[in-house]
Amino acid sequence: MTHTPDMSERDGAAGADAPLLCLEDVSVAPSDAADPVLSRVSLEVRAGECIALVGASGAGKTTLLRTIGTLLPVRAGRLTVAGQEPSALSEADLRALRTRIGLITQSHDLVDSLRVDKNVMAGALGRWTNVHALRFLLWSKDEELAEARAALEAVGIADKLMNRTSALSGGERQRVSIARALIQAPALLLADEPVASLDPETAEDVLALLTSLARARGMALITSLHQPELAERFCDRIVEVAGGTVTERPRLVTAGQSA
Amino acid sequence: MSETLTLLASFFPPDLKPSYLAALVPAFLETLGLVFGAMTLATLFSLPLALAVSMRIRGAGLLIHGLSVFRAVPDLTLAILCVIAFGLGPGAGLVALVLYYTAAMSKVFADLLETAPRGPVEALAATGASRLQVALYGLLPLTRADLFNYGAFAFECALRSSVIVGAVGGGGIGTELVGSLAGFDFQRATTQILMLVLLIAALDRLADWARNHPRALVGLIPFGLMAAWWCRPEFFALGHAFHVLGDMLPPSLPTDALQDLPRLVLETLWMAVAGTLGAAIIGLIAGLGASRRVSPAWLVFLTRRILELLRTIPEVVWGLVIVAVAGIGPVAGAWALGLHTFGTFGRLFADTLDHVPEAPGRAIASTGASRLMVGLYAVLPQSLKPVATHFLFRLEWNLRMATVLGLIGAGGIGQALYEAQQLFFYRQVMAYILVTAVLILAFDRLSRSLRARLNRTGGAAVSTGCLPSPAAAL
Ligand SMILES: Nc1ncnc2c1ncn2[C@@H]1O[C@H](COP(=O)(O)OP(=O)(O)OP(=O)(O)O)[C@@H](O)[C@H]1O
Ligand SMILES: [Mg+2]
Repeated sequence: MTHTPDMSERDGAAGADAPLLCLEDVSVAPSDAADPVLSRVSLEVRAGECIALVGASGAGKTTLLRTIGTLLPVRAGRLTVAGQEPSALSEADLRALRTRIGLITQSHDLVDSLRVDKNVMAGALGRWTNVHALRFLLWSKDEELAEARAALEAVGIADKLMNRTSALSGGERQRVSIARALIQAPALLLADEPVASLDPETAEDVLALLTSLARARGMALITSLHQPELAERFCDRIVEVAGGTVTERPRLVTAGQSA
Repeated sequence: MSETLTLLASFFPPDLKPSYLAALVPAFLETLGLVFGAMTLATLFSLPLALAVSMRIRGAGLLIHGLSVFRAVPDLTLAILCVIAFGLGPGAGLVALVLYYTAAMSKVFADLLETAPRGPVEALAATGASRLQVALYGLLPLTRADLFNYGAFAFECALRSSVIVGAVGGGGIGTELVGSLAGFDFQRATTQILMLVLLIAALDRLADWARNHPRALVGLIPFGLMAAWWCRPEFFALGHAFHVLGDMLPPSLPTDALQDLPRLVLETLWMAVAGTLGAAIIGLIAGLGASRRVSPAWLVFLTRRILELLRTIPEVVWGLVIVAVAGIGPVAGAWALGLHTFGTFGRLFADTLDHVPEAPGRAIASTGASRLMVGLYAVLPQSLKPVATHFLFRLEWNLRMATVLGLIGAGGIGQALYEAQQLFFYRQVMAYILVTAVLILAFDRLSRSLRARLNRTGGAAVSTGCLPSPAAAL
């Protein structure tokens, strides 16, 4: 994985060299009413890169990830994803852009009263028509179930396809949430504290899963982490969120063997 | 006194001859078909409307706001209006129920959809789902249980009201009941009431089943539409309806009726307050008897069955019976409200007592306090607020019912309205309807501010597992 800061990319255009995600002097706030928690944030992320966000509790990691996921508007500066500026897009174009960003939240945010297969295939809503979405709620085709099963297989719980979501364990819920993001086939995967409440061993499993999926599918991954040593081991770059802005931290050791 | 007892005894034994029971089936089917058809239409109108509001589609919120006109007038008063516009028959009842419950359900459904947890909804939006898709895969399933509970509750309310659609319009079990009571055929009236109780209990079971099989409800839609078609108004001439509406405007009252108005309003108010207050006082005592924490199991069982029977019989049926036995007037109305409300309060109060947090009581008991002291210092203070909230909600509800009971001879403004309609004094009808609406809206506002004040004063809110707030919207 090369991430030498070469300056040869063309500005804005979505060429092969252009960054997938680009923040220039961005200010972000956790809600419309609140003051910005981060300002003058600049960051470039290229396809396939794996980035850890580290920082103290309350530093603004969740806020930054939600802004990148286009759920919060930028207050100042410029944010582009795949060469597009979310604030300038129509509703339909914004939806199209959102299908390219997978977001895994800390609370997993599944819909308990829908079965697992419905929750997983919710990741396909962005490319489905409304009629298709309604039809899938009432009856599902084999190829759709096969797609859902494949996504669950990638996260190791294919046998839960037809289970009740409310009966899943916390770890299984997280994997369903990852599977939902995989169905989107996103270019950029955002994971907010995916290992926050896990024991050390499971935490490594989940991080290994996320990073290997990202590498295998060419997705860029941005994940917030509380454990610097895990960040060192699993990610290409470490970005520290502190003091109201972000700074890239030099790695202590060279990245683990990149595939 | 002994006279009343003799009269009551004449209600027994019920007429259970198979031939008579068979003869009742068509009337029951008619009532059931009316409610089923009306509620299918009301659901098909109100759910999309509520979804449109939750999807922030412009205009939908305004529409619901406009519909709230129909909520300010009790459903049966609305039925009278529809009888004038569409003629006698189940059609008038159908239109009244559809209008009223579309207004009530769209408002409550929209409020319930707003309570969906934000996390999953945002997660769906973040995948690029459209607003409709977010509603289908997020809002609806997330609030499904609440939507269903409220829908089932509304269905039951509609069934209760439709019982006397017969009394104002025609057809169904109401007509049978009014006929039996008017002909002093009290044993058959008992049969009809028993069958009604069984029907309501059966529907309750059915709702429990459907709760876990939501897709079965989709399969019911065609039957509901068929039932609605079967009950459709005999004639639907927009021109005629507008013509009738024109006859009602401007609303006006002759001088003597105007002078009588304060008395009528006070009578209706008195009916509601006396019935609710009386029911609350004995309801508190019965609540102790029905509380699993306070009373032995046999007493709990016995009390709960009695309360169940009392509240399953609709207010209007109590009204018909009491008016037949004791004669017309607001006292009969207060009794009718009181008996049904007593059944409701006893159960609610018992549930409140049973759900009050136990820890404070245990802490007080550990200081060596007696059971009575624990009751006074822990259980009672914690129950006061939910009990007061239930009381206010029920009072709002009973004020609506008090105007409705007037239609069957219990006095007050409802009776004046009914008499004006019988005499074709349409402008008076409209005047009385407006007075009713103002009375109800004013009282709702007063009650809402009282409830808000209750909620601001300290103490933990206690969930009683019932639905007080949507009840007030009906
Ligand atoms: N809805 C909100 N309104 C106002 N302030 C908020 C809101 N949500 C979060 N904040 C504040 O914004 C700041 C950043 O919050 P954020 O959730 O982004 O931190 P974080 O780095 O993710 O923390 P943690 O590691 O604890 O998850 C915090 O000080 C928080 O109190
Ligand atoms: Mg966070």
